[in-house]
Amino acid sequence: MRQHAGALNRTWLAILGVLALAGGVLILLIASGTLQTMSSAIAPAGSPVLTMDLHAAFGPAYATAIVLVAGLIIGGLGLWWILAQIPRKNPAGKYRLHRDPASGTTLCDPSVLASAVEHQVNTLPGVVGSSALLRGSATEPDLTMKITVNNRADIQDLLHRINTGVLPDLSTALETPMRRTGIQIEVSSRNANSGTTVESTGTVIY
Amino acid sequence: MNAPAAHAGSLPDAGDLDSRGRTVLDQKVVEKIASQVAGEESFAGGASGGFLGIGAHADFAARPQASVELAGNIAALRVEVGLLYPVPLRQATEQLRRRISERVTALTGVQVRQVDITVSWLKPAAESTGRRRLL
Repeated sequence: MRQHAGALNRTWLAILGVLALAGGVLILLIASGTLQTMSSAIAPAGSPVLTMDLHAAFGPAYATAIVLVAGLIIGGLGLWWILAQIPRKNPAGKYRLHRDPASGTTLCDPSVLASAVEHQVNTLPGVVGSSALLRGSATEPDLTMKITVNNRADIQDLLHRINTGVLPDLSTALETPMRRTGIQIEVSSRNANSGTTVESTGTVIY
Repeated sequence: MNAPAAHAGSLPDAGDLDSRGRTVLDQKVVEKIASQVAGEESFAGGASGGFLGIGAHADFAARPQASVELAGNIAALRVEVGLLYPVPLRQATEQLRRRISERVTALTGVQVRQVDITVSWLKPAAESTGRRRLL
């Protein structure tokens, strides 16, 4: 149901990996002396890389300020990356269902549609509870469902009922097929309190 | 909010106006008409019960909530409506918009320029309590 920062992690790890690889290759070239043969300006292996006085280089106040600002930026990026690891629901904004906004808008909160889907799923046999979440847009909706069933539920039958009843109904309401549908099923020992209902035809037996 | 509303009907002559009087519609009248027209649709409903809006529940027999902004003889309506599930929402709300616009104009003479619709709930027609009935 919740989304993780997988793409962000892959991107940043790729960038950091490339930087670390470039640094490693550079150190290897310096250590082997290959870089020194390519350019005489490079210090030979075994000799200090910097010959100048570092205290003098970092002495001015502006150098300290630059290092401080750079540290804060890197620290901020690190903090932002850590916060991005918190799983988020990322629900969709209100769906806009109007054709011509000049004559008026039509808005529907995705949670309204999700409630209708949950209500429908909760009436299926064996379902103890469910939660639904809609993402994407009104023209390209994504549906994610978490369904809890009891241990007597027929999972294949449940999936069949969802595919032939619940999803087509949602597509009918939105007038577009689902772009992606995710279903997570959990099994619980609880009883299905709001499962299949029995409609009475009025026959009373004494 | 109790701003004057609209002059109903056509005004034939300015000279006759003073002698014949004026008809002024409060905007609440337009709101109630719009609400009633929306509620007449079989697939639309409102909310009933509760206290000050708290604890209200979806009800197809209730009138949807409507509000209006009047500028002279031109109205912009905002309707909060519950709909039958599953109905094609675009088609249903477009039909509702057309119906409200036509009926409000016909009944009040106010020109409806916009009808903004917010879908507040969706319910299937045969609402069941989910419990087995005792025979």
